[in-house]
Amino acid sequence: MSVMNRKRALISDTFKVNKRRVGNGKQFGAVNNGEAGPLDVKATLQDLMTLFPRKLFNDALPQIVLKHQLYSVHNDRTQVDRQLSDLREQGELLMFQLGFDAEAFGLVFAADYKTKVLAGEEGRGTRGTVEKFMDKVLPSCNDMSFNKDKMLKEFLFTDSEITQLVKSGVLTVRDAGSWWLSIPNSGRFTKYLIQGRKAVLGMVKKSKYNEVLKAELEERQTNSQVKFQIKYHIHDIIGAELVECIPTTSGTLLRCVDY
Amino acid sequence: MLGFLTARQAGLDDPLRLRRAESTRRVLNLELNHDRDVDRIHSNGINTIDIEVIEGRYMLSGGADGVVVVYDLENNSRKSQYTCKAVGTVGRSSRYAHRFSVETVQWYPHDTGMFVSSSFDKTMKVWDTETLKPAEVFQFEGNVYCHHMSPIARKHSLIAGVCVTSSHSHRGEVLSVRWSPRYEHILATASTDSRVLVWDVRRASGSLFSLDQHNGDKSKASSEAVNTAHNGRVNGLCFTVDGLYLLTMGTDDRMRLWNSANGKNTLVNYGKVSNESRKGLKITVSRSCSPEFVFVPCGSSVAVYTLHTGELVTMLRGHYNNVDCCQFHPDYQELYSGGKDCNILAWVPAVRPPDVEEEGTAAKVEILAQQEQLKHVWGVVIRRRSLFSF
Repeated sequence: MSVMNRKRALISDTFKVNKRRVGNGKQFGAVNNGEAGPLDVKATLQDLMTLFPRKLFNDALPQIVLKHQLYSVHNDRTQVDRQLSDLREQGELLMFQLGFDAEAFGLVFAADYKTKVLAGEEGRGTRGTVEKFMDKVLPSCNDMSFNKDKMLKEFLFTDSEITQLVKSGVLTVRDAGSWWLSIPNSGRFTKYLIQGRKAVLGMVKKSKYNEVLKAELEERQTNSQVKFQIKYHIHDIIGAELVECIPTTSGTLLRCVDY
Repeated sequence: MLGFLTARQAGLDDPLRLRRAESTRRVLNLELNHDRDVDRIHSNGINTIDIEVIEGRYMLSGGADGVVVVYDLENNSRKSQYTCKAVGTVGRSSRYAHRFSVETVQWYPHDTGMFVSSSFDKTMKVWDTETLKPAEVFQFEGNVYCHHMSPIARKHSLIAGVCVTSSHSHRGEVLSVRWSPRYEHILATASTDSRVLVWDVRRASGSLFSLDQHNGDKSKASSEAVNTAHNGRVNGLCFTVDGLYLLTMGTDDRMRLWNSANGKNTLVNYGKVSNESRKGLKITVSRSCSPEFVFVPCGSSVAVYTLHTGELVTMLRGHYNNVDCCQFHPDYQELYSGGKDCNILAWVPAVRPPDVEEEGTAAKVEILAQQEQLKHVWGVVIRRRSLFSF
């Protein structure tokens, strides 16, 4: 009934709480491509995954995206977090503690992870245990770490099997009697990421006034320290809030946040 | 806005909706006002401000020099240019003044005849506002970082003051303490050992629960960080006005919103809220707006976030040095903030620019003067309405 269609507008809609940004006036320059329509974290994840360099690791690693890279694309962090936890509940996505920062989490699609790990285990003695772990533990448990009690009692793994899992790289030691879920051979990934992050931040710092336009930074030539695509690092530093994003008439400006 | 007014007139909308809408609009328009000033008395940083809840007319401030000042915020002059005068000062010359930095001041919640101040000289003094002499002095063994009186308590008049050695459950200094505005027996404390504990004063055996940032999901944290509210010191604590949620600020640059009934982390992500303060930070929440806003001192500006979605609305810049405390005036939707630059700044909702229909500057001046009067009246109307709308 069209008469009954007088919708009670929410007070927050009237004032469009989104309108007021850092600074004043309208939003210009920083056109957010993720804003059109409802927030779709899965699509953004797939986009960001294409930036991951597979050849660098000889295709041995699954494509990893950092959780805070999503924050650089979408503005509403709480919504991103909620959708991520939904995807994890459904078993499509896995989250890992990468180890170099308490807040840095890596995201990998579950199917991807499984194929790559099992491919890496071809012809090795630990293959059976790893397969058992994948089939038993991953679908049922969303945790990022496991402790001894859980492994022995709930999942009925023996001590020697746990040692095999650690050897194969699926589990890494967290402290006495507990382990993080991890990606085998991801040590190089972490090393390159930290190296590249430092190099890109250095590029921003060395610029005049410690700031550089995002579009210009994307075009710059990278030195040998930066092994990943520069866009990957740019999403990383924006999401981790190591640089400030300022909208200008010529596009987004990245300014170093110095502490 | 006209839509809200007509709906209110016709009875289609609840009176509260119009009030909420206008309050929200005013908060979104907060800016530094050229006309409003606060007397500059402190010679060293300002640590704490408090506005009394009964009339919203008097404001207390406590500074790092041990001085406590009482200001009158009401604008009785007919001019728009107004300086909030200090009506009383407990200065360095007074023999009752605190010897070291005053960390917290608070009005007695039920009338303005009394206020309490606590300081690093290990004392907490209860003052008589008329004579500015302390009626009572409490001695502590350690530095008192914070104290709070329950705003709703009728059955007890306990002042929760915390210092280093007094609590057994916290392994570090307790930087902040707050009573719940909903239940008069519930108290929350925040400390440098990264934990926030919630207590019931009727229960002598210990805290009710501790806030856990991972909501019991032990797998997410490293083993030392299990059962902590933050990955660093917790130095800001604030209940929302209805007492249903608790906000905490930590030196890990994060702010978290907790459900105060069960202690669950609501996982609202505010992003990086820069926090370099070594001692307590006073954050404050807006009142009767929809959505609610939280004002956080962030370096030398005040950040305004939407409470439940975590979105940064704006940064209020104006201080020359770090901001330590801020307080929201619920009746006029104004924000007062004080910091190390010894200034208290008043952030007042910007008046809507007048529709200039008539030519000539004389007409403009008249319109502006009318706007000012209207602003004052409208603020009073909202306040008076509040007494009748419930």
